[in-house]
Amino acid sequence: MILPIGPVHPGLKEPLRLKLKTRGEKVLSAEIDYGYIHRGIERVMEGKTWQKGIFLAERVCGICSYIHTQTFAEVFEKIAGETVTLRAQYLRVLTNELDRIQSHLLANSTYFKAMEHETLFMYMLGLREPVMDAIELLTGNRVNMGWNVVGGVKMDIKQVHMDSIMLIMDKFESEYGRYVEMFESGPLVGLRSHDVGKMTRDEALMARAVGPIGRASGLKHDVREQHHTYRDHMDFKVVWRKEGDNFARTMNRFDEITESISLIRQVIENLPPGEIRKKIEIPAGVAEYRNEAPRGEVTYSVETNGNLIKNISIRTPSIMNIDACAKYMLNDVATVSDAVATYATSDPCIACTERVIILDESGRHLDFHGVHNINSKLKG
Amino acid sequence: MLDGLKDIIRKSSIHVCLVNTGGCNGCDIEIVALLSPRYDLEQYGIYVHNNPREADVILVTGAIAEQWRDKLQRIYAKTPEPKIVVAIGNCPLTGDVFNQEGGNVHAPASDFIPVDAEVSGCPPRPSEILEAILTVAPGAIAARGRQKL
Repeated sequence: MILPIGPVHPGLKEPLRLKLKTRGEKVLSAEIDYGYIHRGIERVMEGKTWQKGIFLAERVCGICSYIHTQTFAEVFEKIAGETVTLRAQYLRVLTNELDRIQSHLLANSTYFKAMEHETLFMYMLGLREPVMDAIELLTGNRVNMGWNVVGGVKMDIKQVHMDSIMLIMDKFESEYGRYVEMFESGPLVGLRSHDVGKMTRDEALMARAVGPIGRASGLKHDVREQHHTYRDHMDFKVVWRKEGDNFARTMNRFDEITESISLIRQVIENLPPGEIRKKIEIPAGVAEYRNEAPRGEVTYSVETNGNLIKNISIRTPSIMNIDACAKYMLNDVATVSDAVATYATSDPCIACTERVIILDESGRHLDFHGVHNINSKLKG
Repeated sequence: MLDGLKDIIRKSSIHVCLVNTGGCNGCDIEIVALLSPRYDLEQYGIYVHNNPREADVILVTGAIAEQWRDKLQRIYAKTPEPKIVVAIGNCPLTGDVFNQEGGNVHAPASDFIPVDAEVSGCPPRPSEILEAILTVAPGAIAARGRQKL
């Protein structure tokens, strides 16, 4: 029997149709339909200056909105062949890691909500609010920060803000370990998480899984290792695990939060003096740039004539992770509620994924199966 | 007397359905932030459960993507009376940045369903969303309920 879930459903926050093929309570396989939030953002960006494009890039996704603006700015800096000042690079790392903490906490809280553990769900959201305060202290906004520009960042940080962020981080770290332990050694949450939604390393490679989902299955791949600021000035280790189940994915995110806190401390302790923004002359050119979003690797490739964006292509991590979830994680899951929890642990962000829509000649919508969708029944 | 009793009950038990019709997710996570212990939505008797069939308030976010032109009306029809619609964020009001040449959105939401309250902002702060729901919801739901009777 086919059990359809969504697009508007108590289990889902965002519109998406999850078709579960079930026998009794057991979920045999799953299929996912996208296409509910396509806005045509790449098409809107074409023929606009970067000053307008950066606001559109910010609204690709609301949860990881920061990294999109950073990648957008860095691809233009790559076209110009320049790097921003060291202080601006450090400030970008600081905001990026704060954004990663709130995104991972939100992802884990969604998982706890999906497996009906209301207590940890509330704890995670309670922990998230001080981090949102830190982001607001630094950039002035909670979600869409408007903080990056091509050539640096908009506002400088003051000593009083750094002290406040350090205080928030100290308090965060003192409470944080307790909740991780609650999850790690809790008998009930452990039973619901271990060996559910398992994805091996080979399967993760086949599905091109990225980010915490790929790293939890043994793919040691973090684009931050190749980013010049992280590579040259920061000290961090890539968190990865071998198990590939719901427990591993959740713990991977928890461990990455610890790394992010240490990166934030490194930035605030070693913040170099200097300018935060410089003028960059953009020539005509084409470039591609990758960054590590909270969910994995995000790629921007931009072609510009020096003033206007001629062509832009955005590749976000969620599309691979959601496909990996549908194809490999939701195989022979014991119950439907486990299947929904597994779906939540792949950290789906539908707003990121919707890049392409397929129309026929008369402009009518065809059934959307994705362009490189590995679940697709269509060939080619 | 029955009306009075219904008014009291409806004021203290508001069920909310969240419909994302093609936004960036920012407004949705601010609504999720409302559930957190700091804002504690449930102390006002508001429950977010995303089920249109038992909702009193529909929160519309997003700029009405192609697929939602008929689906939004169907969700509105499925929701039992009395019901009110609150549009959250700039997207359902004007389409925000997506409502430009090349964008595939059909804002505003009021073209498709009647909207009772609008909260502007990209995204609005959680306290503003909460204020909007609390200002409009109990009174409007009670008034709609009396109209029906």
